[in-house]
Amino acid sequence: MLIFDRIQTFFEIAGGMVIDPLSLGILFGSVLLGIIFGAMPGLTSTLGVALLTALTYSMDTPMAMICLLSIYVGGTYGGSYASILINIPGTAAAAATAMDGYPLACKGQGGRAIGLTTTASAIGTMVSMLFVVSISPIISNFALEFTSFEFFLLAFFGILISGTLTAPDLVIKGWIAGFLGLFLACIGRDQLQFFPRFTFGITELESGIEVVPVLIGAFGIPQIIDVLRARSQMPKAEKLSKIMPEIGTVLRNIPTIIRSALIGVGIGAVPGIGEDIAGWVSYGTAKNTSKHPETFGTGEFEGVIASETANNACVGGAMIPLLNLGIPGSPPAAMLLGALMLHGVTPGPMITFEHPTFILEVAAILLLASLAMWITGMILAKQVVKVLNIPTPLFMPIIGVLCIIGSYSLGLNIFNLFLMLPVGIVCYFLTNMGYPIAPLVIGVILGPMADENLRRALMVSQGSFMPVFTRPVALILFLIIVLTVVSQFGWYKKMMAGIKARLFNNNQ
Amino acid sequence: MLEIDKLRKADLFSGSAILLLGLFVVGQATQMPMKDSYAGVQNVWYVSPALFPLFIGSMLALLGLLLIKAAFKEVGSAGLLSVLKYLSSSDFASFLKLPGTIRFYGITLNLLIFVFLLIPRVDFFLASILFLLIFFFMFYCGSDEDLLSLIYLMIASTLLFSLVVLAPWAPSLATLVPFLSDILIIIYITGLILYYFIKLKGSPELMPKFRLSLIIAFAAPLTIGIIFKYFLLVPMPFEGLVVSLLDAIWYADIWS
Repeated sequence: MLIFDRIQTFFEIAGGMVIDPLSLGILFGSVLLGIIFGAMPGLTSTLGVALLTALTYSMDTPMAMICLLSIYVGGTYGGSYASILINIPGTAAAAATAMDGYPLACKGQGGRAIGLTTTASAIGTMVSMLFVVSISPIISNFALEFTSFEFFLLAFFGILISGTLTAPDLVIKGWIAGFLGLFLACIGRDQLQFFPRFTFGITELESGIEVVPVLIGAFGIPQIIDVLRARSQMPKAEKLSKIMPEIGTVLRNIPTIIRSALIGVGIGAVPGIGEDIAGWVSYGTAKNTSKHPETFGTGEFEGVIASETANNACVGGAMIPLLNLGIPGSPPAAMLLGALMLHGVTPGPMITFEHPTFILEVAAILLLASLAMWITGMILAKQVVKVLNIPTPLFMPIIGVLCIIGSYSLGLNIFNLFLMLPVGIVCYFLTNMGYPIAPLVIGVILGPMADENLRRALMVSQGSFMPVFTRPVALILFLIIVLTVVSQFGWYKKMMAGIKARLFNNNQ
Repeated sequence: MLEIDKLRKADLFSGSAILLLGLFVVGQATQMPMKDSYAGVQNVWYVSPALFPLFIGSMLALLGLLLIKAAFKEVGSAGLLSVLKYLSSSDFASFLKLPGTIRFYGITLNLLIFVFLLIPRVDFFLASILFLLIFFFMFYCGSDEDLLSLIYLMIASTLLFSLVVLAPWAPSLATLVPFLSDILIIIYITGLILYYFIKLKGSPELMPKFRLSLIIAFAAPLTIGIIFKYFLLVPMPFEGLVVSLLDAIWYADIWS
């Protein structure tokens, strides 16, 4: 498709959504719901996308995508409210925002801070949307050359890198979480020979585990247990002054915005790591490159801009590998992948053939969602922050009911609940022991892809692994995987330290 | 997350569990067809359904071993002995009775009862009302002492309820009394509300919380249930007394 055709189609799609009152209503409603979800500590945008996946199951795909992307965008931004007003991040994505957002609120500039995060988040989402549109055709064409070996290695790399970068403790735990997810994905009849694996005679397990209820359990149940068990009382929110768009502050910090948006897109594009890491990396970079780093942490606007632009830019970044390779770029994107599969859309290189305008639809929704988020944030922020006054013991059990009926509604199978709850309780223990959940989720989602592609690849090569070394992309992926694994070991770090010391001494 | 020293000790156990799981997966995988034919298809190792589980099982076993090694390096055999000593000591028994641990029992017990016992057998609206009420009484209107007595009550009522709905005589009882499980839950809910009303009557700061809990415990399931049942057309997991009543109202002839 020529570039002008694409631009024309893009604006036609966007225009079509704007003039349809139902789409517009769903857009604003979902963004508002996302902001509320994001604002409440204990609720995440991943859980919001998961619950809405259940609610939008019976909708047609474009409408469902409007809901899901809007709640994703709104949820990522909404976390800044709690970060700024009560110094507790509403979502992990907004953790870095609290560093300078809360000091601003303490100085009576909470309204300015929220106005700034609203504008910065909208710009971050729009920039990432541009990347989705421009980079997708390149990656898609490239990915059409991929064969089964590349897809297997890509899936494996996604799980590995997610485990490496999201592990709060030892990296081994991240990898274990990923392999646990792969194990869960093995349950059921295998795709090629329909041999029952790990079903133990239970008929309901023969078709495998339902991904979305397991994901709801993995993300929802540990949160419910954690929040209620802590019996935490929410601190009183700082008073909120008038909310202004802060265009002047944004214009003065254009380099920070551009850099943060690029960081967000880049991190979003890496499979499995998401908005929280984007926020911290961008904040850290802004602090390190600032002329006055000592002001960071005392109410520096640049810190707030860096964090919020990056975490929202991560939304579009996560869409790039999701749509073009079928590999989710972040946990909410993993949820979106589950939702897309439910609606019969298989993201990957073939998406441009099966659904030629899908990527442009996603980009249009991201643009409209960022505008809707900005409008909703400017007008309704003062009302939405009142949700921070709702006691957690009242809304977390209601979220529990929603998780349960939401899981049940996908497939109308009580067995999904029987799976969801034990998985959730196990994930609670895993989280407490320092195992990250994101690689587990990525493993569950990419497991079938990895399994099928490995065996298909070996069928074509008659059992030979040589194509890994003869095909350039496969070789690069293989080397990256080896490097990712090896770089965690002590002997490698010592070896590299020795090499650097020798090089440094030689230079002297 | 636990503190780092406790974490390493816990890693010894989680690493062992992962190692055992890995070995189990490998064991199960060796029973899958590797070279024999299955369903008329002659197998080779690279097409075998065992390939991926073997890979995953081996990796889990290896990573479990590495985790045990990393944990052992930090805590040593002295650390392992101290953990074993702690598990058999009275300190561990005290840990099991800590307020945080008891809250965990309460939350998981309520979730388990709701999902495994109530949802398949009791009208969804009633089950959700009871689920929410118990959480609100545990964490919103009450203290940790109330939580413990509520846990005992839940265990006792679960046993009694199981005698009615899970015992061999359950089908004949259900035939005798229609909506028996729903009626029992309604009686339970009413008793619980009355008990807490009498208990909190004299407390000016807890009574408003009690009233709010009642409103939300009834309004939330009704709202969620009605949206799912009548707008999203998702049938409830179990449709009993309340759903029959709502159906009678929703589909009544007077609306046509």
